[in-house]
Amino acid sequence: MAPNARPRSILESLGEEIIRIITPVSLCMLLVVILVSVLNTDSSSSYSASATSIATIAYSESSSDSSWDKFLGALLNSLVFVTVVTAVTFLLVLLFYFRCTKFLKYYMGFSSFVVLGFMGGEIAVFLIEKYSIPIDCITFLVVLFNFAVVGVLAVFMTKIAIIVTQGYLVLIGMLVAYWFTLLPEWTTWVLLVAMALYDLAAVLLPVGPLRLLVELAISRDEDIPALVYEARPVNCNDSGSTGGVPQRRVWRDKRGEDSVNGSNHNSNGNSVSGENVNPGSNSTLNATAVPDSDSDSNSVVIGHTDTSLVRAEEGRAPERDAELSTPLIGGRMNIPPHQPEDDAASESLMLEGIGLGSSGAIKLGLGDFIFYSVLVGRAAMYDFMTVYACYLAIIAGLGVTLMLLALYQKALPALPVSIALGVLFYLLTRLLLEVFVVQCSLNLLMF
Amino acid sequence: METQTNNSNRNPSRSPNGNSITGSWPVWPTVDGSLGLSEDESVKYARRFYRFGFAMLPWLWAVNCFYFWPVLRHSRSFPRIRPYVVRSAVGFAVFTALLSSWAFTFAIGGEHLFGPVWDQLVMYKLADKLDLTGWS
Repeated sequence: MAPNARPRSILESLGEEIIRIITPVSLCMLLVVILVSVLNTDSSSSYSASATSIATIAYSESSSDSSWDKFLGALLNSLVFVTVVTAVTFLLVLLFYFRCTKFLKYYMGFSSFVVLGFMGGEIAVFLIEKYSIPIDCITFLVVLFNFAVVGVLAVFMTKIAIIVTQGYLVLIGMLVAYWFTLLPEWTTWVLLVAMALYDLAAVLLPVGPLRLLVELAISRDEDIPALVYEARPVNCNDSGSTGGVPQRRVWRDKRGEDSVNGSNHNSNGNSVSGENVNPGSNSTLNATAVPDSDSDSNSVVIGHTDTSLVRAEEGRAPERDAELSTPLIGGRMNIPPHQPEDDAASESLMLEGIGLGSSGAIKLGLGDFIFYSVLVGRAAMYDFMTVYACYLAIIAGLGVTLMLLALYQKALPALPVSIALGVLFYLLTRLLLEVFVVQCSLNLLMF
Repeated sequence: METQTNNSNRNPSRSPNGNSITGSWPVWPTVDGSLGLSEDESVKYARRFYRFGFAMLPWLWAVNCFYFWPVLRHSRSFPRIRPYVVRSAVGFAVFTALLSSWAFTFAIGGEHLFGPVWDQLVMYKLADKLDLTGWS
């Protein structure tokens, strides 16, 4: 493809950027819906009763409780969860402050290995059992080992093909989201709302841990490593015409200086206009960190945050740096000893929030992927009608968030708008639309 | 759905960084084009992936071949990277052939080929026995 053959219109570049972030979100949601509809059809109630995790520590739902009891129990669970998340994020800020980057990076790699290996393995075993696939354990173990190790390498350790990294991030999001859908119903919904509120607070309030984290990163001119999905940048100007230096769109100070200001966020030249950037400035991405609990594992929370602060070096593609993770050990130790995967890890602190990456591409935290997929997965447990409604609501919310991102030009929480719309549409569909559609179909009026 | 806008830029008029590549088209050795690695870094990464793949990781070899696909396709380009990528491809092919032949023999042969050992090796029965599918 000839470089820079014709100037691209803003519609093309803008549309392409949006598509490049919506596609993986949709893909993750689709995978979770497929998994949920395949695996949860028979024994959803029994599984959810037995799933213990940090999110069900205060109250385990049983179907015999009244609605009010369930709601209170769910509220309690969510409160505990959000508290744990906040604590872990502050711990992460502390560790970042004391520059324990290497330790955090390796721990995060280890936790990803656990997520991919053990959770992925467990879901694969479910599928094998359901379809009675005659695979033997040697082949299975080799394949799983390969999958997990290459996943860890792709996401954290080395630089590898962008599509492989993106694929693995989507898979990690899918696996964790599937585990979340195993929580009891009321707990899931209240938890989603609670996480959206937490996200709002943590990113926008001045004492929010994520805001602190990013300000720290900016002032130190360092990267916060984390699990963040970065879309492939749309290059309006090809590197060939600029002497091999990829131009980067960055956050730039509102006052017009290009110096990094630690106390307030740098604002940005328009994210979709493809401006070239003064190589002296740095770009950063902020995102909210959210831990997601692994159901019934004994809650080791790992924090992942990822920001690539790029120094605009000559000819170097932006290097994604070491990632941080924070372990938190807590929650119930209800695990029978023959399940090693539960002992190991996996409440992961994933970042949420949306911002701009070093190359100007849109970055979306993996926590956003996870919670969107949890919402849609939970909707899938009811009916496909709610899935369609919630999917549209989430995509609309994501679009609104992207617009706000272009407007305010700083890192924003990506959860609140989408989760609010999603929950609203779920309730409306379940309570109102379904009755209407069913009646129409029964009377052969429509559909 | 990532459209590869930078896939193997054909830019013969520019002199590529690193060693000269006589008579070859692609400037960038990786499939990511200008977002990927430069040639010097590519040698390091290709070598590292090749060596790591010996730890029972044929998938890493496959990813290596995918990542340096322009190197494989144009047989005279990037003479420093090419040996590693070619060997990775060969290793992946051999390993996959072995593994798939074993897996297919196992799956198709079934009980009448293996006898009672089949029951002990097959995954879903093993999962039941070890109760891997109980959630907690």
